[in-house]
Amino acid sequence: MVALIVGLKWQLLRNGLRRSTPQLVGLILGGLYGLSVLVVVATGLITLRFAVPSDAARTVVIIGGSALTLGWAVFPVIAYGIDETLDPARFATFAVPRRQLVLGLLVSSLVSVPAAVTTILGLATVITWSRSVLAVLVAPVAAAVAVLTCVALSRVTSTAFSSMSQRRRGREAVPVLVLLLSVGLGVVGSSIMKHLSTPGLLPHVADVLGWTPLGLAWAAPADIVDGATGTGLLRLLLAVIVLAAALLVWDLLLRSALENPRGATSERAVTRDAGLGWFARMPATPAGAVAARSLTSWRRDPRYISSVALMLLLPLGLLLPPLSGGSNLWSLAMAPTAGFLLGWSMHNDIAYDGTAFWTHVATGVSGRADRIGRLAPTAMAASALLPAYATLGCALTGRWSLWPALLGVGVGFLLTGFGVANVMSALKPYPVPGPGENPFGAPPGSSALTVVIQAVAGAAVFVLNLPLVAIGIGALTGRVWMGWLCLGLAVVLGSGALGLGTWWGARIYERRAPDLLADLARIR
Amino acid sequence: MLSLHGLSKAFGSTLAVDRLDLEVPRGSFFGFVGPNGAGKTTTLSMATGLLRPDAGTAHVMGHDVWSDTVRAKQLVGVLPDGLRLFDRLTGMQLICYSGLLRGMDRALVVERAHELLGALGLQDDGGTLVVDYSAGMTKKISLACALIHAPRLLVLDEPFEGVDPISTSTIRQILQGYAASGGTVILSSHVMDLIQRLCDRVAVVAAGQIRAVGTLDQVRSGMSLEERFVDLVGGATDVGEGLAWLRSSSD
Repeated sequence: MVALIVGLKWQLLRNGLRRSTPQLVGLILGGLYGLSVLVVVATGLITLRFAVPSDAARTVVIIGGSALTLGWAVFPVIAYGIDETLDPARFATFAVPRRQLVLGLLVSSLVSVPAAVTTILGLATVITWSRSVLAVLVAPVAAAVAVLTCVALSRVTSTAFSSMSQRRRGREAVPVLVLLLSVGLGVVGSSIMKHLSTPGLLPHVADVLGWTPLGLAWAAPADIVDGATGTGLLRLLLAVIVLAAALLVWDLLLRSALENPRGATSERAVTRDAGLGWFARMPATPAGAVAARSLTSWRRDPRYISSVALMLLLPLGLLLPPLSGGSNLWSLAMAPTAGFLLGWSMHNDIAYDGTAFWTHVATGVSGRADRIGRLAPTAMAASALLPAYATLGCALTGRWSLWPALLGVGVGFLLTGFGVANVMSALKPYPVPGPGENPFGAPPGSSALTVVIQAVAGAAVFVLNLPLVAIGIGALTGRVWMGWLCLGLAVVLGSGALGLGTWWGARIYERRAPDLLADLARIR
Repeated sequence: MLSLHGLSKAFGSTLAVDRLDLEVPRGSFFGFVGPNGAGKTTTLSMATGLLRPDAGTAHVMGHDVWSDTVRAKQLVGVLPDGLRLFDRLTGMQLICYSGLLRGMDRALVVERAHELLGALGLQDDGGTLVVDYSAGMTKKISLACALIHAPRLLVLDEPFEGVDPISTSTIRQILQGYAASGGTVILSSHVMDLIQRLCDRVAVVAAGQIRAVGTLDQVRSGMSLEERFVDLVGGATDVGEGLAWLRSSSD
């Protein structure tokens, strides 16, 4: 049975390569790149064998190993839905004894490129630690425990996730989790970068990590080499316990996944909403209906939630340089950046409808109503965000005279962005993740078209706003009247661009609505 | 009511619909049957303005679906197959959305939506997100969306697929009442028995062309619709004595 499962995984890996030539070329290039990185790292590990004293080797192996283990544990969260090849729930209908299934799935997890890389790195550390007889005996065991722990942890995460994502609620929590995770990693990463120069910090970090489940197995041989045999063996024992615990948790999760496939018996987490919601608040016109529908989707569809979060966070990222002692001037760019992102982001809005867009085609809704209604959520967000960011920028720099200029450039970017988006989204939608899919995943085979359309939309918005940016920079030099000019021009030019874009986009929409539906059906 | 002339559509090198002509008289309950891949969905999509034909015309009460678009679409209610819904809306919101998109008055839309939910047995589910609906409930809510503007012609693609017997009977009653009061229905289905009981006119389509069309009795010509269908379309495999190991009595 174990051999059969491993064989299945091997077959899947080979079939994955059989798809198309461009994919194969990409894979080979990626593989070559990965291989060169692997060779460099492995060579480094072997060179560390000869480093005197062995402290450097200890620090590098423990921190690197812990990071690798953490990566294994976290990766299934970010990449969920990408590799479901051996989803345990798919074995539910076959009567495979669970012990054999656990063993088979564990061994089959080793048949993958990342596992092979990790194994090679583990073997390289054996050479790093080949400084004494005892170390040579302990290091391979520790390396094996470390590699198995990596695989077991990733299985735990992905099994927990696959049972969680059976339920819509669970699936919708994922993007928020990913976002929090990446923000957390970013904060930790930046503070590490900041303190990197502090002497003695890294060995200290390594000491701490060496006692966490992530680093135990990687640290054990280092103790042996340092002569602390007792400590080393204790760590090895603890590492084995961690591995056993991970396997046990996985086994338990598998049991629930197998006995309860597809969350069949779990209670249905149903959202109820008796009223009409936004449909009661928006004007009772086709445009108002489209606006209400967009607003409802923005609230309930995780794909919009995650893009909103990104648009909120990206301008806030401009606060990082001032906070870490850089120039305050960065914070002035917040309002313009937010305006640009919010306006530009609408250029593929229709793709998020998917084939549900047929409702618009079948009802024969006018191009103008469709174009204008879609802008509602972003316009509402922007009307709060742009003044807030402009105010924040002024507060941080103390240059209140710049407020009209900041708001002006932001509004200009926003409105021209809307105008460009109204034309672009009627022309050519490009693939986006479907409802319920990983909002951060890119659907395959889309990259070239996606990049071209995004770049064209971005460039168009930017070029149209060059005069405003120039006047804004003029205001930066202290001419207050230029700031007010900028704001006034932004409203006039922006409204013009929006009006023109809506008119043109509506004409294209009315000509192409069925073709848009065909495009949407094809990219789905 | 609905007239299609020379409709053609090719996807790549496959000809899905090949110069198809069809007349659906006013007040008829029209069954559109054919094997998988016969071009049913493609034809109905082109007839309702959802898919642009390569050639040919479609008229609803004399209005060209592809040039007099708005007028034609006001007369038609559509339930397509295999397309998504805006499923993050509640059932109530989805029906109202279809009405408001057509420019209807909000009070009227809300009133009709409540009536439709009641008639379809969904009165307790109007506040539930459509994504949480079962397959049968989803079909019923789609039907409600197609009916909200009181269309003259209903075009329903597989309205009974994945629907349980109780909901099937509900939908049937609503459709029969609609047809009895002068509405025209065209629906596609695989279930011959259902078509036989519901429809007064039938068209059999295969490989993108009409094989037989007329009143139910004309098309049946003395056989059951299923026998006549297999006869017209051909290609049923005679299982004969194969798969012997599957017969548990053989050991």
